[in-house]
Amino acid sequence: MKNTLAAAIVLALSATSSLAQAADTRINGFASVVAGLTNDEDTSMFGYNDNISFKPESLFALQIASDLGDGLSATAQIMSRGSNDYAAEFEWAYLSYEISDSTQINAGKLRIPFYRYSDFLDVGYAYTWARPPQAVYSLVFSTFDGLSIVNNHTLGNWDSSIQVIYGSYDGSVDLVSDEDPATLNNIMGINWTLTYDWFTARAIYAQAETSISFENNEDPDRLLNNGIALVGNIYPQVASDLNVDDDIGSFIGLGFAVDYNNLLIEAEFTTVDVENSIVAKQEQYYVSVGYRIYDFTIYAITEHGEDTNEGDYDYSSVLPVSLDITGYGTVYPQGTYQALIASQEETIDTATIGARYNFHPSAALKLDITSTKINDADAINVLSVGVDLVF
Amino acid sequence: MKFLKTKLCVTILGLTSVFAQAEIAVVVHPSNASAIDSSSISRIFLGKKKSFDGGGQAVPITQDPSSAATDEFNSKVLNKSGSQIKSYWSKLVFTGKGTPPKVVANDAEVISLISADPTLIGYVDVSAVTGAVKVIAKF
Repeated sequence: MKNTLAAAIVLALSATSSLAQAADTRINGFASVVAGLTNDEDTSMFGYNDNISFKPESLFALQIASDLGDGLSATAQIMSRGSNDYAAEFEWAYLSYEISDSTQINAGKLRIPFYRYSDFLDVGYAYTWARPPQAVYSLVFSTFDGLSIVNNHTLGNWDSSIQVIYGSYDGSVDLVSDEDPATLNNIMGINWTLTYDWFTARAIYAQAETSISFENNEDPDRLLNNGIALVGNIYPQVASDLNVDDDIGSFIGLGFAVDYNNLLIEAEFTTVDVENSIVAKQEQYYVSVGYRIYDFTIYAITEHGEDTNEGDYDYSSVLPVSLDITGYGTVYPQGTYQALIASQEETIDTATIGARYNFHPSAALKLDITSTKINDADAINVLSVGVDLVF
Repeated sequence: MKFLKTKLCVTILGLTSVFAQAEIAVVVHPSNASAIDSSSISRIFLGKKKSFDGGGQAVPITQDPSSAATDEFNSKVLNKSGSQIKSYWSKLVFTGKGTPPKVVANDAEVISLISADPTLIGYVDVSAVTGAVKVIAKF
């Protein structure tokens, strides 16, 4: 369905360029070539391991935009990611219509504006860091199919931009495996950004009817799946409150940024929750401070994320400690339930230092060292060096 | 000592003349009666404002990023370096939220386009200004 839509838009694009001579077609692109490695042979981070690899974060993208006149345009962005063996895929494909000078509607495959940098996550050239802070930028799905309406206006000396989105997502998230099939229906969100010269503030609220399947669980014992089944056999309501099945997921994001003289300060706070499900309530933030010196920018980031799972309703007291099942043996519903809830809890702390060097009008060199500590495990350090360009 | 002072004066004069050479003029069609301040100029060139204060459509045109006029304009009016401008537009281009102004090759081309189109606004080196366009600001 998604590919059909994308294909239709590309067809529209090519038809435009061949049929209407007046149509103004532009091709832009961006690319990143990044090499990185970790200091830990057992655990990978951002796709890197202890051997230098170019694949996890390198990418090439082409964008074709065709102006059909009278405020209508069609855009497609095709991206080839190293992490996907450089297979080319449609990242965006949409039609835009300018209702007025201040209001634009986009329809098609679009970015969900969860974070301040969501819209251009992959355009490394557009931001200072090697990568947006990963403890916060943790939601793996970044696009949806639907509509986005953006209205830009001024409030006194402030620029104000309000975006409303509606649509759905059919793909995967990483909850228990890297690819858990997920469906989000009736995604609705509102995103408000206010800018005054050197200061920007933004807030977003989004929600969706969320379903996530655990069928791809890579755990050989499938403890999670078996645990939910076990508890569910005896107490169906408990299983229903663990499974992610048409449950309302909500996202709140708040952030600000300062770009004053050569000082750059940025922070975002986000929270994600899926009610009546095993999914933990996730809260995370980062604070980044940078300083520009001619063509160099140096930066430091601190991040913290906490997934806590008190459950919307704690069934511990309802479930028996042990139960004898004829022909099966003894099972432990209460302990199983508590273990399932606890399995989703996680704390992450990250510290980063890095530098960006604009060595060319269209290219930037970035050096970054990020140290990530998850729960009580040893910190994993990632060193990366990369070049981002736009053309 | 006296020699040093003279040398210093010469240096300062030299600097001044460099600045004088790099002075830029923001130009529009002679029929355009809008009064416009530097903040409005900046907003038009950053795609945040799409009409002149008088009401007519405002379409900015810029010059090649490597030109001296562009350097001066970016730093004096937009208050940004070339790479900051580039990343500003990358954010808009790759999200379908905006299109950077049309880029032309030199002062002469800016003047010839603007003299024929009342919606356009551009910048040129002051020395390149002709009667075909109207100067609305100098920086």
